[in-house]
Amino acid sequence: MSLSPASGIGRFYKHSAKIIRFVRLGCANRPFYHIVVMERRKNQHQPVIEQVGSYDPMPNESNERLVALNTERIRFWLGKGAHMSEPAAELLGISGLLPVHPRTYMTAWRNRRAAAEAEAAETETSKVDTA
Amino acid sequence: MSLLRHFRKLSVEHTRRTLAGSASSNTRQYDKDPQPLFTDAETQRLLQNMTQLQLDKVFRKRTVSDNSTETKFMTTAQLEKEFLQTIVKANKLLQMPPVVKVKEDAQDALITKDAALKDFADTKYVFTDITFGLRNSERKVVVRDVDGSLSYASLDTRKRMNQLYFPLDGRRSYTPRMFSKPELLQRCLEEHKYEFVLDRLTVQYEPYELEFHQISARVFEHLMESKQFDLLRSTRHFGPMAFFYAWHRCIDDLLYDMIRQDYLHNAVELIALSYKIHQIPVDYKQTLGQLDALQPTPGQRALAELRNCLKKPQEQHIQDDIQAAIGKTEQDFAADEISLKFIEEYIGGEHALKKVQLELAVQTLKELNLEKLQLYQGLKKAHGVQASSS
Repeated sequence: MSLSPASGIGRFYKHSAKIIRFVRLGCANRPFYHIVVMERRKNQHQPVIEQVGSYDPMPNESNERLVALNTERIRFWLGKGAHMSEPAAELLGISGLLPVHPRTYMTAWRNRRAAAEAEAAETETSKVDTA
Repeated sequence: MSLLRHFRKLSVEHTRRTLAGSASSNTRQYDKDPQPLFTDAETQRLLQNMTQLQLDKVFRKRTVSDNSTETKFMTTAQLEKEFLQTIVKANKLLQMPPVVKVKEDAQDALITKDAALKDFADTKYVFTDITFGLRNSERKVVVRDVDGSLSYASLDTRKRMNQLYFPLDGRRSYTPRMFSKPELLQRCLEEHKYEFVLDRLTVQYEPYELEFHQISARVFEHLMESKQFDLLRSTRHFGPMAFFYAWHRCIDDLLYDMIRQDYLHNAVELIALSYKIHQIPVDYKQTLGQLDALQPTPGQRALAELRNCLKKPQEQHIQDDIQAAIGKTEQDFAADEISLKFIEEYIGGEHALKKVQLELAVQTLKELNLEKLQLYQGLKKAHGVQASSS
């Protein structure tokens, strides 16, 4: 799988639906994503119109996930009426470029609930142990 | 793997702390912002004059990939034109890294805090704006923390991200061991590789970083003990070094070296700089003005040297021969007299620390100068050259 340049070589129709989405690069067990603009109907590994960022979902050595966004081009394509895939929209929401995506709130809430339940279970078992 | 990561993080933090701790305890720091004084036009001129322009040192062979030279046939006029351009280029190469205060992280880094986003992920996210055409300093880097707060990244993170997405040539994404381990830096200093250390420091760190200040201070202090000032003369680091000494009131070693090497003009400039920085009410401008009127600028001097080389032997005047043999002109002798008076005033004052040493150096130089002057006058008389011709 060869890389196409960031300016893109993908051919597209003027009025076709465009989408800002991830392209999974990297390799087995090591995901790495490009954030790209391409025609909505196309497969992710086909040539893109433009690459507008990258996302490394694996935490680095200082425990942070790195995202690069070409905000100027993203705003341009959003203004042109490009769609967003849900993961891409979530990421843009977290970055503060767009309003936070509802699903991020859902994930946060579920994570908090799971943590609270785990803690409750822990205290329960410790009570049983001491009793 | 996470264990390894943890250990690496610990060791990085450890080296950082040891370096910062060892440096802050015994190196000199700028107590207030030195930038306005450093970028001042007069200070810059003084520092540039002190640096000197030795063309063969500026354009010496370096360990770079392309050291090739080009040979051309030229007329004298073309050569002089080319030479003037070379001097401009040399001045560019000698541009000093700025001396500015240490930059702190911004206090109002927080943009928003969304409590409903708490625990949305198990690590924080760092977003870098990679818009085309932005400078590294104006690029936005924001961090979304696990507790849902969005804030501007710290300087450290910013630098890491800039280096990751827009790598600078020669800068490492990890701290070179030379800078993280004090004993390795010490070894470099003991081998007198000052220029190498300072060059790499300038590449690796920004002038507003704490490490830049600490390591450069350490180098300058080591230089003060080893007194190898000639190694930095005519490089871009001489100016900041002189400024450092003048700021911390320890110019005496450098001054002694300048007098020993017969760079009296520079010695006067160094003293003037120290007066200027500490606002000591001595009128140095008049002396400097007199000296400037008597002596050509480094560029003019280099050009004169070139013209001398180009002259045919029969064009050589006998007076030029005498001057070449002695190494000084009549103006030089006059300038020396003015400078010596100014330097002696400084040594006599309360600001000099190593008075005896400096006085001895001045005495020796005076005797040498007197001998040279007598020889000069004797030679002129013997050849029947008019005294007023210069």
